[in-house]
Amino acid sequence: MQSHRHVKARLSTGLLQTKTIAAARTRTASMSCSRSKIFLAMRMTAILLTAACLQLSAGTYSQKVSLSVKSQSLETVFRHIKSQTGYLFWYKLDMLKIANKVTINVVDQDLPKVLDEIFRDQPLTYETVDKTIVVKLKEPPAPNLDPGSPPPVTVSGKITDEKGNPLLGVSIQVRGAKGGVQTNAEGFFTLSGVREDAVLEFSYVGYETQHLPVRGNTTINIVLKALSQNLGDMVVVGYGRASRKNLSSAINTVKPEDLNRGAITDVGQLLQGKVPGLNISASGDPNKPAAVVLRGASTINSPGGPFYVIDGVPGADISTIAPDDIASIDVLKDAAATAIYGNRAANGVIMVTTKRGRKGQTLVSYNGYVGDERVSSSVKVMDAPQLRAFLTKNSQNFSAASDKGANTDWQKQIERSSAISTNHNLSFSGGGEHSTYSASINYAKKQGIIDNSDLTRVIGRLSIDQYALNDKVKFSLNVINSNSNANDIPYLGVILLEAAKYLPVSPVKNADGTYYENLTTPNYYNPVAMLNNSQMNNKYNNLLGSFNTQVRLPFGLTYDLNLSYQNYSTLHGEYYDAYYTSKYNNMYNNPDPGPTGHGLQTFGPNGQAVRSSYQNRAKVLETFFTWDRHFGDHSINAVLGYSWQDNINNDGFQLTSFNFPVDNLAYNNFALSAPYASATYPHVSFGPDGLYQETKLISDFFRLNYNYKDKYLLQGSLRRDGSSVFGANHYWGYFPSASAAWRISQEKFMNAQHIFTDLKLRGSYGVVGNSFGFNAYTAQVFSGSLGTYYYNGNQVSAYGPTQAANPNLKWEQTATADIGLDFAILNGKITGAFDVYNKKTTGMIFPYKVDPILVPSGTIIANGGGVSNKGIELSLTATPIRKVDFSWTTTLNLAHNTNKITSLNNPLFSSVDSIPEADPEAAGQSGTFLQVLKAGKPLGQFFTLQYGGKNSSGVTQFIDHTGKPTTTPVAGTDYVYAGNAQPSLQFGWNNSLRYHRFDLNVFVRGLLGNKIFNATRADLFRPSTASTTNILVDAGNESIADANVYRYSTRFIESGSYLRLDNATLGYNFKSIDPYVKSIRIYASVNNAFVITGYKGIDPEINQGGVAPGVDYNNFYPKTRTILLGLSVSF
Amino acid sequence: MKTLFHYIICPALILTALSCHKVAVQITTELTPNVFPQNTAQFIQATGPVYAALRGNFALDYWFIQSLSSDEAILPARGGNWYDPGNGYNQIHLHTWTKDNGWTNSVWASLSRVIGTANQSLSILATTIPDSVATKKANLAEITVTRDLAYYMLMDVYGNIPIDTTFGDYTPHANLPRAQVFSFIENDVKKALPYLSTSAGTLYYGRSNKYTAYALLAKMYLNAEYYTGTARYDDCVAACDSIINAGGGSLYALEPKSTYLQMFYPTNGPAMKEFIFAIPYDPTATLYPGTNGFMYRARYDLNRNLGMKYRYSGSTPGTNVDPIVNQTTGGGLVNSQPSGPESTLASFFGYFNDPNDVRNGQWLSGLQYNADGTPLMVKTTKGGSQGYDATYTGADAGSTYIYQLNITPDVYYRTDPKSGANPAIFDLGNDEISWNMGVRNIKFYPDYTNASNRNQNNDVPVFRYSDILLMKAEGILRGATPTGGATALSLVNQLRAQRTTSAAWTNITLDSVYNERCRELTWETWHRNDMIRFGKYEGAWGFKTDADPNHRIFPIPSSALGLNPALKQNPGYN
Repeated sequence: MQSHRHVKARLSTGLLQTKTIAAARTRTASMSCSRSKIFLAMRMTAILLTAACLQLSAGTYSQKVSLSVKSQSLETVFRHIKSQTGYLFWYKLDMLKIANKVTINVVDQDLPKVLDEIFRDQPLTYETVDKTIVVKLKEPPAPNLDPGSPPPVTVSGKITDEKGNPLLGVSIQVRGAKGGVQTNAEGFFTLSGVREDAVLEFSYVGYETQHLPVRGNTTINIVLKALSQNLGDMVVVGYGRASRKNLSSAINTVKPEDLNRGAITDVGQLLQGKVPGLNISASGDPNKPAAVVLRGASTINSPGGPFYVIDGVPGADISTIAPDDIASIDVLKDAAATAIYGNRAANGVIMVTTKRGRKGQTLVSYNGYVGDERVSSSVKVMDAPQLRAFLTKNSQNFSAASDKGANTDWQKQIERSSAISTNHNLSFSGGGEHSTYSASINYAKKQGIIDNSDLTRVIGRLSIDQYALNDKVKFSLNVINSNSNANDIPYLGVILLEAAKYLPVSPVKNADGTYYENLTTPNYYNPVAMLNNSQMNNKYNNLLGSFNTQVRLPFGLTYDLNLSYQNYSTLHGEYYDAYYTSKYNNMYNNPDPGPTGHGLQTFGPNGQAVRSSYQNRAKVLETFFTWDRHFGDHSINAVLGYSWQDNINNDGFQLTSFNFPVDNLAYNNFALSAPYASATYPHVSFGPDGLYQETKLISDFFRLNYNYKDKYLLQGSLRRDGSSVFGANHYWGYFPSASAAWRISQEKFMNAQHIFTDLKLRGSYGVVGNSFGFNAYTAQVFSGSLGTYYYNGNQVSAYGPTQAANPNLKWEQTATADIGLDFAILNGKITGAFDVYNKKTTGMIFPYKVDPILVPSGTIIANGGGVSNKGIELSLTATPIRKVDFSWTTTLNLAHNTNKITSLNNPLFSSVDSIPEADPEAAGQSGTFLQVLKAGKPLGQFFTLQYGGKNSSGVTQFIDHTGKPTTTPVAGTDYVYAGNAQPSLQFGWNNSLRYHRFDLNVFVRGLLGNKIFNATRADLFRPSTASTTNILVDAGNESIADANVYRYSTRFIESGSYLRLDNATLGYNFKSIDPYVKSIRIYASVNNAFVITGYKGIDPEINQGGVAPGVDYNNFYPKTRTILLGLSVSF
Repeated sequence: MKTLFHYIICPALILTALSCHKVAVQITTELTPNVFPQNTAQFIQATGPVYAALRGNFALDYWFIQSLSSDEAILPARGGNWYDPGNGYNQIHLHTWTKDNGWTNSVWASLSRVIGTANQSLSILATTIPDSVATKKANLAEITVTRDLAYYMLMDVYGNIPIDTTFGDYTPHANLPRAQVFSFIENDVKKALPYLSTSAGTLYYGRSNKYTAYALLAKMYLNAEYYTGTARYDDCVAACDSIINAGGGSLYALEPKSTYLQMFYPTNGPAMKEFIFAIPYDPTATLYPGTNGFMYRARYDLNRNLGMKYRYSGSTPGTNVDPIVNQTTGGGLVNSQPSGPESTLASFFGYFNDPNDVRNGQWLSGLQYNADGTPLMVKTTKGGSQGYDATYTGADAGSTYIYQLNITPDVYYRTDPKSGANPAIFDLGNDEISWNMGVRNIKFYPDYTNASNRNQNNDVPVFRYSDILLMKAEGILRGATPTGGATALSLVNQLRAQRTTSAAWTNITLDSVYNERCRELTWETWHRNDMIRFGKYEGAWGFKTDADPNHRIFPIPSSALGLNPALKQNPGYN
């Protein structure tokens, strides 16, 4: 809480006025000028009073007022305002006796303006103390002093925090002058020789700096606002916070109320469509994390998502956090913002801040929902009558073994009709004199839409801040533990594929209750039997603990020491019962699209079990000094620090064994397995080699911010980063950045105009690195198993170097230039930001091919090649309607990115012309790649045959390289570049409406201009196989004699543009039913209400991440729609 | 307290922290040079990768390049099956290969990998084995000679090749003229010779000993005139003598008639007295990453109706009660059918004209019988593209037809278009007549011991004692001074006495040595080399008419040119 009088002067020069900032502005700095002790006492009373009723009024009241009264008493007017805004009025009754009648007519006006209007002709004035308006007597006008040389005065006063506690060590100085004083332990200060027209500056680390004109006052009492409690204005940057208005870099902040709603357990999906430039694609499969790409892929080296920092812990696992515990998410986009994270920042940095307690505020909240998820879209294959009619038409028959007269919808058979998810989050927070705390417990249970799959997760979180040594030292302890238990499905890819292609005329079970199988058709398995004769379970535990110490030192210095520890452990089990191992031995798996191809799966007899347990640990020490000083119009904020991190990944083991006496024990008793009793497969296996990896990261970093009059802003940063993953010659790299901003609206010449309330031009340039996407020991030489060889009668292991040392391996470098414009126009009715960027990656890390005579493995991880991304981002927020009981706020995000591979060359090893990508390995088309990586082309460039219609005998033909139609095209030679997977525009459009106590949020998002290669469709477009495997309904008119019909070509490239009503939420806020209940809200929400698209596959939201985006293959996981009912209560 | 805290503790903390800038990580979970190899057993294990790499592509890719390009073997397509434009079996037969041919590329890459592996092992052992270890030079020499064998094979196929000997040197090296490559190999082998083991038997089986080195030198000297323009026949005879006299003349010997065929059976191994250097194949072996590494000749060589008889890949009748091989289902064992596209040509089969020769037993020709002597019957349809005879158009073309399997020596395109023969894609047609064309070789006898997959246990010899005798005989015939009281005739008769009951030869010519080599070394990857040396490689056989002498060596493959810009293409290729 704070007590400030509203200062009009700040209004006219204005600040960036988003909705929230406008709200915050009413609390912005100024101070009381009162001299009388009575008044001081009264103010204190007001503070206490407000403290008691603050939560009562805290809610979703508007701060806009519409009022039309004629000659009414002040008291009546106060009542009107109170009912509209929730603001309370505090006054002495006898004050009102001297008040004048009020006549006012305003519509949708800011509360401060209305108050100013009301009090203009009154003998009274007012002061806003948080949500209380304190009415007081107007002071007599200041004596008209000689403007030439007012005598210096001595100013004294007391500085407190929002709780009213005195603050020690606050620096007070005259702006533009040297020296200054600090407050004593009681928070008092005295500063002599102050000119009456001077401006005083009050600064204190961790609190917002305030500037105040003296105007002849000799007593100035001030309340400083803590930074952490003001996230709307403050942005979390690396190693500190910054005020949004004074940022010179590109950072987007997403507040919890703006995060996507729904039964979401993945943070990527929370942000979908919310941040321009952040391209997030989620698969239908809830267990797959969404692919996150910021401002286009900056590398072809397994383009990864952004780097996450949770509460200052770098590289933390984002799945640890319960969505309800998030206080804010800041997306650092340009290099000026990210360079402080050096060689890990090339894909952007996402800072997640969790909720913390506040002094004097006890808060208990419960959030819960129950969701019901149903299939909204699946593969449209033929049913039994359709397929039978198709075969009859083409004079074909099912085999007798297949045709059992059934009409089975195999996709339905493996799905739940409805998957239920529930989530309960109970949190409480508060704080006393010298400590605050926040804790929560979150329970989530989510069923998968495919049978036998579910996820249960319990997250406990505790954060405590404790002040010591006269509050100069702050200790913070944060502990989050997330424990998950997931039942997954082994070989889900095969099951989904089989469910799509299994003949509908076959039944799930035979008459005798056993599963139906027809194993004479190769690669053909009953998906329901597969599902129910295997099991997979994963238990994860994710512990994140950090202990931070912050010490306030003299001279504006602060020292931080952050220690954190993360431990991620997994316990995995798989079991394939005797039915499975006998029926499905030697089946091919069907992995997700990616670098690994299909592989033959062998099982030992009589049940096979897999068990693994691995642990990842990360230890981080970060320590830094912050120096925050103001010299008149000059402000400096400098950070100098050191970071040390040690990661150990995959510390554990795996075991596979088989030949169990019974199936009932599953993977729980390996002692009973008898692998060596098997004649054909007598060995247990231990999983892959080389999993254990240790990485060390050591850094020194420095950042300097300079601010002149809040008008000219400069920032420079430099990180010196060392990482053990690089070659011995290149452990260390330097990552610099510089940025500048000009707040044009602060200029005098802007005072005359009324369009822009805020206008800021900013530019930045910086270099960051990427050290992800390859094994930690890649640069070093060591030996491993290189097969076996005959030695003295036996096959024995041959050990030799398995990889080449590359002492010159270094980070890949991404340089970004960014020019941005932040603006608020029409008195904050429209706010927005516009960014143009140019991002260039060089020295791209890639497994380059090498002559095996030099490196026997044929590849070496080395630097070469490059990628360029250029783009435009725009974000606009407007409030077209803001009435007493109806308001509408709308936000539109638009982003365009042009991606291009600039080179694939490595100077040392080879010149690579192009690299084929995305081989779906379909029957008869193995080795047929759908995309190519090539210099001058974007990532996701489709490269395939040009469809040329049908010839006279109905056979699909293609256009060859000479332009003639052919039915026997040559792979490669006859390929054409056929569009690419990246969108030309991505958009997100959010609408928040409020009507009385109802609120409605509607969120629409989508992509435009991207292409999708619908290989899933091509693979089910095989009329000639319709007697043995099912085909798409759409293939019903194709000729059975057309052996080319399914061949990958431009025929299967479709527009991937879509618009999705991603979420609509309707909520109702109950009236206060009890003074101890602060708020009650119920809501209903629908996810994926509808999608508008011309795309023929299950859903146009195809993976946009990775090295081969936009290819729809193996995309059988059904898309779902979720309807959710939720309740939020706070006490 | 305050002062202490502000001015001493904090900066001290910071300084302590700032002082740690050691970023390197000591690998504790992998075989770094610090921990491997450390002792004699491990030094030997460190020589293993080069053998595993050599095994990788020898029995398949290397065999295709050496044999399908000669007149001993042909792999035509049948009804589109085995028509593989990328690998171009037709190109290898017709000598129309290009630098893009799949086998041309894979043989270069795999032999380069053997050399690279050897260089890698040498570099690690040179530093990790202390000089005080007595076996150090032997360990290094063993790897060196194995590397030289790969160099020799690479030179034999491609002629002009680059020489890389230092691991970690990433400079692209140009290919050297063949004569220079020749002397590099010769010198390298000679340097290693003194340190190589003179033992044979189980402990040295599959590894390079001193006689592997001599056999390699003998091969080089025998071909020196062709490789370098300078004849080295006396050196060849000397190298052969080193092997003949090894162990007092008893280390190696000829297998008798009774066990000649068994020498190539799945059960072969260190007991084979003729094997000087063999590559041991084992179905249970773990592969060198990126290689094929298995031997499965029966997959290519066995007629597809013979899977059951030879228990190919564990074929058993199973639930199939029909004693007749059902052509369309393989007796219910579709996945266990051998493909069997590969055969010899009638002209080459003609070298086997001595009915008393045990070596005839490696061929399958004519009517086939079950093990119990009953005719091996096949059930199919009379006509139709996949029936017995696609050209048959009678009304009963679709009716069942049962016939005794008959393997016919001639491999040719039938003229009736209904046969499905298509010279453009090297295709004989898809009916039983087409599939039964060509005499099949089962020298590397189908592995009846492996019931689970098509991998075979047969070890494949690279250098064999009989080859040494024939090389010495040929060397003498080509002008070398006879040694040890042997003549060319006596040497060849020494061999023939263990192969046939026919009378010994009374005279000998180069041509008769060539014919004997054809019979003795069939399917052992030496026939192309022999044909070139005897000037027969530009002849016409099968469908091949090409006579360009440039084709004695293969083109530098496109993948190699892409990876090493210093390479120059061989003459006659672009």
